[in-house]
Amino acid sequence: MFLALRELRHSRLRYLMIALVITLVAWLVFLLSGLANGLATDNGAALDQMPADGLVYQSDVRFYLHRSLLPMEDVQAVRDVAGVGDATPLGHLTVTTTPEGKTDKIDATVLAIDPAGFIAPSLSSGQMFDPAAPDQVVVDTTFKRYGVALGDVLLIEPSGERLTVAGFTENQTYNHLPVVFMSIPRWQGLKYAAPGSSGSVTDPISAVAVRGDDGIGDRIDAQVPGVEFASMQTAIQNLPGYSAEMGTVTTILVFLFVIAALVLAAFFYVITLQKTNQLGVLKALGARMSYLAWDLVSQVVILTVVGVVLGAALSYLVAQMIPADVPFALSNRLVVIYGIVLLLVSLLGTILSLVRIARIDALIAIGRVD
Amino acid sequence: MTTLSLDGISKIYGDAGDQVVALADVSLSLERGELLAVVGPSGSGKTTLLAIAGLLLRPTAGRVVLNGREIGDLSDRDMADLRLRHIGFVLQSSNLLPYLTARDQLLLVAELAGRRDRAAGARADQLLEELGLGARTRHYPEALSGGERQRVAIARALMNEPGVILADEPTANLDFQRGHEVVSMLAREVRSRDTAAIMVTHDERMLDLCDRVVRIADGRLSPDMSWAAQETVSAGS
Repeated sequence: MFLALRELRHSRLRYLMIALVITLVAWLVFLLSGLANGLATDNGAALDQMPADGLVYQSDVRFYLHRSLLPMEDVQAVRDVAGVGDATPLGHLTVTTTPEGKTDKIDATVLAIDPAGFIAPSLSSGQMFDPAAPDQVVVDTTFKRYGVALGDVLLIEPSGERLTVAGFTENQTYNHLPVVFMSIPRWQGLKYAAPGSSGSVTDPISAVAVRGDDGIGDRIDAQVPGVEFASMQTAIQNLPGYSAEMGTVTTILVFLFVIAALVLAAFFYVITLQKTNQLGVLKALGARMSYLAWDLVSQVVILTVVGVVLGAALSYLVAQMIPADVPFALSNRLVVIYGIVLLLVSLLGTILSLVRIARIDALIAIGRVD
Repeated sequence: MTTLSLDGISKIYGDAGDQVVALADVSLSLERGELLAVVGPSGSGKTTLLAIAGLLLRPTAGRVVLNGREIGDLSDRDMADLRLRHIGFVLQSSNLLPYLTARDQLLLVAELAGRRDRAAGARADQLLEELGLGARTRHYPEALSGGERQRVAIARALMNEPGVILADEPTANLDFQRGHEVVSMLAREVRSRDTAAIMVTHDERMLDLCDRVVRIADGRLSPDMSWAAQETVSAGS
């Protein structure tokens, strides 16, 4: 590091600029990963938190909960399949609500559940809705941002039906909307209010959440007619928009890594070319290739680590300033992983320069061979 | 005592059809305390000679013996190690690293040999002092004059207590007075430290400072008779 550090100090401006580029790339990488993480959480948190191994949908609805329609007796049919530990009904509906006495409109996802079933959410305050008092609901804490408190009434647009907030639960969002948990009968009254809207199904639900061993998916598909099983992971990836969101962000991330590698490779290659004569002198003096290689690698490591640490610091700073309703969640694990990826990618970029250094002949130190 | 000897050295570039003979059967030996000048026009093979003597290039035929050790089959890495420990280089003007201070230029030699310690620091300070650079130790090459740079290069060449110093046109970019100063300093150090040096030059005005002069033309050496007639040539030609 004798040469590496002295050169960094002497050519401060040049190396500060490349450190700045790495900082900006790292910053962008971390912000994007925070956004991806936030979007994913926002979209699928309710499913992610559900202690189930999978969901059973109506077949051929592409695992879209809002299209899926099953009869209630399928819950028992699924429960009877070998290996299934438990099964519980799930209903889905997207609604617009207004807190009574206010004008805010709050879009929400209704998830209808059996309050005694295994997918009932844990509460942060209040109590679970009482099936005997059908208007009671448990809502995500997002509603608190609109001033909703325990015991408040939410009106469903446009029918004006009343729901009473009995409890709050945390981090329950579905399809980027906060979740309202209610009983199955109350949900059926909302979603299938019009006669005949559930077709021939008399006691409709959207899907069945199941727990069981690894092979239950195939057995459920084979034994229960008209249904299709999806693991929770598949269910989340098939949320509307999920793969498009993740695909976009992942593409940008991959491009950023490629850009970082190319920028660093080009920068250090140009510097190496510029230093050809100096490197020749060093070789003539007797410097080993391993010494020169380590010298370059330590420069790259120093600059990348400085850039990544600054980028991470800026990202955490920005995370503090981003408003709560923006889906942004920095994951420490991802920051570390992407930081290491950036370091590896920058080292990959030095290979070109290392090859170049290896090819430099000490003879150039004495100018020309006549 | 002979420190470096070249025996029947030839260097041929190119392949069978298109050969260029850079050196043809050159023999030369260098004694301790001696400053030898190699003079010749460009294209005469003097740089090739310097490269072979400096273990930067392998001859096509012939023996190179440094400090009693034959170079023959050494690997590139071993040759680099020998250069590091036994040879000092004073190259043309651009041979200092721009981002090292005068003192660090000297410490670099110790660093490359894995011996950058307190003693190396003291030696660097002492060498710079002796070469009249005591006040310039923290200066970068860009802040030094051409003559000062070559004096730093001489100090650097002395850092590893070399058996041989090889100087490649050390006065190339200097006016007569500065060039003369640099070469006389080199001659003084060679004698006082009982080491030896080969200086390749085309600057005839520097030859009065050298112990012995050989001329090279078309890859062949000849002792400089006009020179030998004027001066008492040191032993061992």
